[in-house]
Amino acid sequence: MEHPILFISLILEALGLPVPHTPVGATLLEKICEPYMTYTWMVMAFLIIVPKLTMGKLEMVPGSGQNFWEVTVGGVMDFCTENLGEKGAKMLFPMMATFFFYIVIANMIGLIPGFMSPTSSLNITLAMTIIVWLTHHFLGFKYHGFKYYKHFMGPSPVLAPFMFLLEVISNFARLISLSMRLFGNILAKEVLLGVLFMLAGAFFAPLPILCLGVLVSLIQAVVFVLLALLYCAGSMEHAH
Amino acid sequence: MSDERREMFRQLAVYSQVGMTFAFSIIIGFGIGWALDNKVFGGKTSPYLTFIFLGLGITAGFKNLWELTRKIEDE
Repeated sequence: MEHPILFISLILEALGLPVPHTPVGATLLEKICEPYMTYTWMVMAFLIIVPKLTMGKLEMVPGSGQNFWEVTVGGVMDFCTENLGEKGAKMLFPMMATFFFYIVIANMIGLIPGFMSPTSSLNITLAMTIIVWLTHHFLGFKYHGFKYYKHFMGPSPVLAPFMFLLEVISNFARLISLSMRLFGNILAKEVLLGVLFMLAGAFFAPLPILCLGVLVSLIQAVVFVLLALLYCAGSMEHAH
Repeated sequence: MSDERREMFRQLAVYSQVGMTFAFSIIIGFGIGWALDNKVFGGKTSPYLTFIFLGLGITAGFKNLWELTRKIEDE
């Protein structure tokens, strides 16, 4: 497929930096100049600068900017508390809120021409999923100590080696299905928008998909965070 | 959002994951078996380990489903 016009890549090319046209660049500089990397940095800059600008100083009687952030951050906090309880939510809230805001913004900027969703690259989603995966096993060991291995052994000692293999396989399946779902949904949205724009852009054909894209972006972000929370909750509770 | 809606949404998120986890367990089981056969043992055990791990992958997929049904029964 023809490459879409990505303005950061154009700027980098004008500056003389190598922007690769393959999924993964060859040298380190090419890897850094990948569109998904540059747009990830753009999202990060957005997430750092925009709250700073809109929030200003925290006040007792919030203005409109502070009100917005209080509602969204408070919503994510409530969401965590519902699934993890008070104590776990306080511990995991920073990570989960970061994931949520990053994924929402990263999904949403793909709807604007000239931008690309970093989450439509498997590298980004797999990286996020590996973080979640390692965290939930780390939490398991932190909460149960060495006895966490009982989560993998099933009820009877005779079947334990067999159950261990099954658990290992289903753990890796978890890793891949979580990353694949986010990646697949967002890539589908991007490709569909591109194709519709190419075929019938003059007749506003991508418009319904743009509306759906807003929904998909939000839902996928919520689902990713929800599943991450459920995995963490699962490894923190006692083995059955 | 009302509580019922919220619960429905939560379950939708969980069950939207079921099919994919099932498929990927089978693929991963097969992949491990294939890798053991062809990369680790250099084709000497081919194709037995592939089939054994394919079976394990399918069992892991069904075990996931089974655990999910148990969870629904508990709720």
